[in-house]
Amino acid sequence: MQRKPHLYTILVLAGAALGLLFAGFSTYDFARHLDRQVHSVNCSFVPGLTAAEAVSDCHITMMSHYSSVMRETVWGGVPISLGAMSVFVFLLLFAVELCLTRRQEDPRATGFLALATLLPAGTSIIMGIIAFSKLDAACKLCIGIYFSSAVVLVGALCLWRRAQQLRRAEEIGRLSPREEGEGGGPSSWAGGGPRRAASSSSDESGMPRGGQAPVGWGYVAGAFALGVVLVAVPAAAYVALAPDHSVFIGACGDLVEDKDAYGVMVPTDRHKGGVPSVEVLDPLCPACRAFESRLEASGLRQELDRWAILFPLDSDCNWMVDDRKHPGACAISEAVLCAGEHAGDVVDWAFAQQDAIKGAAASSGEAARKLARERFPDLARCIGSATVKAKLNKSLRWAVRNQLPVLTPQVYVDSVKLCDEDIDLGMEFALSRMIARSRDGSLRKRGAR
Amino acid sequence: MSVVSNAARAGVLVLALALPTVAVVTWTGSAKGRVAADQAQAAAGTGKGKAATASASDVGYCSPDLKRILRRVLQSCGLIGGEGVRGCQPVQARSVATMSGSDFNALFRPMKERGGLVEFEKAKSELGAEDTAVIDQIFSDQRGASYFFVVARASPEGSVDLNRELSRQRAENVMSHLRQTFNDPDLDKEVGLLWLGEEFAQLEEEFCQWRRSGDPNQCKAEQINRSAFIAWIDCTL
Repeated sequence: MQRKPHLYTILVLAGAALGLLFAGFSTYDFARHLDRQVHSVNCSFVPGLTAAEAVSDCHITMMSHYSSVMRETVWGGVPISLGAMSVFVFLLLFAVELCLTRRQEDPRATGFLALATLLPAGTSIIMGIIAFSKLDAACKLCIGIYFSSAVVLVGALCLWRRAQQLRRAEEIGRLSPREEGEGGGPSSWAGGGPRRAASSSSDESGMPRGGQAPVGWGYVAGAFALGVVLVAVPAAAYVALAPDHSVFIGACGDLVEDKDAYGVMVPTDRHKGGVPSVEVLDPLCPACRAFESRLEASGLRQELDRWAILFPLDSDCNWMVDDRKHPGACAISEAVLCAGEHAGDVVDWAFAQQDAIKGAAASSGEAARKLARERFPDLARCIGSATVKAKLNKSLRWAVRNQLPVLTPQVYVDSVKLCDEDIDLGMEFALSRMIARSRDGSLRKRGAR
Repeated sequence: MSVVSNAARAGVLVLALALPTVAVVTWTGSAKGRVAADQAQAAAGTGKGKAATASASDVGYCSPDLKRILRRVLQSCGLIGGEGVRGCQPVQARSVATMSGSDFNALFRPMKERGGLVEFEKAKSELGAEDTAVIDQIFSDQRGASYFFVVARASPEGSVDLNRELSRQRAENVMSHLRQTFNDPDLDKEVGLLWLGEEFAQLEEEFCQWRRSGDPNQCKAEQINRSAFIAWIDCTL
């Protein structure tokens, strides 16, 4: 039995180390955001050696609902990459254990290792499908983890297969003398075959092999329990030590004037009995689209009775911005206002076609109006009319009256602002608490409207 | 299994458990420290800059002199600091402006892109389709402006009293159209009406270059003074 790592074991060790590196950088990036600030994230196949990026597919993935679990319990949730880190550490540990205990040819021990590698491999497949089908984002760090998972899976499977083949070869080797009448029955096997190592003092399984007997089921159960502990302890530490963000809920301001004096609010997603909420929205703003996507995935959408105030970040109509940050946003906002009760349909279309609309409207907002008219012929006369332009202007004036920050999205639940820092990672944590507090009447400060 | 081997196994186990846990403790502790520091900075008022706050326009031409004049006119006309009384008599306009007619007109020159002239038939005050189109086009393009001025005039033909009344009717008709067309609760706070008759600040022909509802090929002084000058004023007071 060899202590020196076999090629397949080296493959597992290398894959696990690589996975640990990628998952470690990913978790580090995630944990940095616990300070409620905006940070660049590592997004490279060589993490740490290239500059972090402010906006990247890795950023999109990290901010998505799928990057963590327990998001309503912990601000931002516990990152899945932390679990990946722990699993890769376990695989690393177990591969070293196989070497130290000379179990690289043990079919049961290597089988357990192969089984354990199915966890990162399976998770990688699921996350990969989500990344490409739901997020449309190819995060390089994630791809690194997927690759590492594949490497450890292949290494572990090969190691297990080799162990099985060795065992079969030994069995054939043992059976052959018996068939030829050389053996003396089972008891003679217990005494050891010709290849039995001198150091193997006992073989309770009664299966003579070139080395030790396969590990017992107790050993496997112990290894499994150790794996659970390795995942649970860092996760528990994360939950226990993460900053307390509940103190910020309700502390980010509220609407000075929550009445819709101008008649410019449009319903975007109404739910009877839902907590009233107002979103300051630019239909061509990627952050608004991402927020919508997170809200949908969170399951909290049904808890809200949602209205929107249009605030296009496009200097065509918005004097508060210096350039056409989102070309065509004014035109699409007109369409949203024109749609009235069906505003949600226009917003959904605009979110789905954001890039195409912005591209078409790069030189003039009229192109965006044309697209909206083609998609919603019933609104054709209204879009671009003096009346709706004036209404859009009043929507912007509403923001002035409320002295809102010039940014989108902004969300007000029961007139109380969801902190800008809670719009992405902390959305589920903060929003679920705001909804609960609104329902029990403790969200608005005493004496507020 | 040798003692050395067992010691190595234990060492690897401890290392495996410690590595992610220590990393988590370090990262969360660091984030907690930064949150506390930010809270302390915010409490001390030395926090990081925030996004700009939504505000009305206050463009370059809004000089202190212009603002002073605007304030006087708006106060006199009841738009600010008053009881909501709208409309300035010609004499009042002259007195609050305390300036010559040409200086008064010069105040509005920078607003060329934000205003226009609604031209009326001789001795008439009714709005035609082209007139309302110009009004709608200009009024719907409020942007960040806080005040909309309607300054009605009459050409010198006819008596002073008649022209004063005619210009008042012209201003009122523009206001009525705005009220009917735009459901704007701020209308009474943002639209200032002045009727100057023929007595004060007659427009010079340079205003022919402005957006007009009249015949684009004809522009004489008497035509552009049978008018209501309308413009958004991008100044805050």
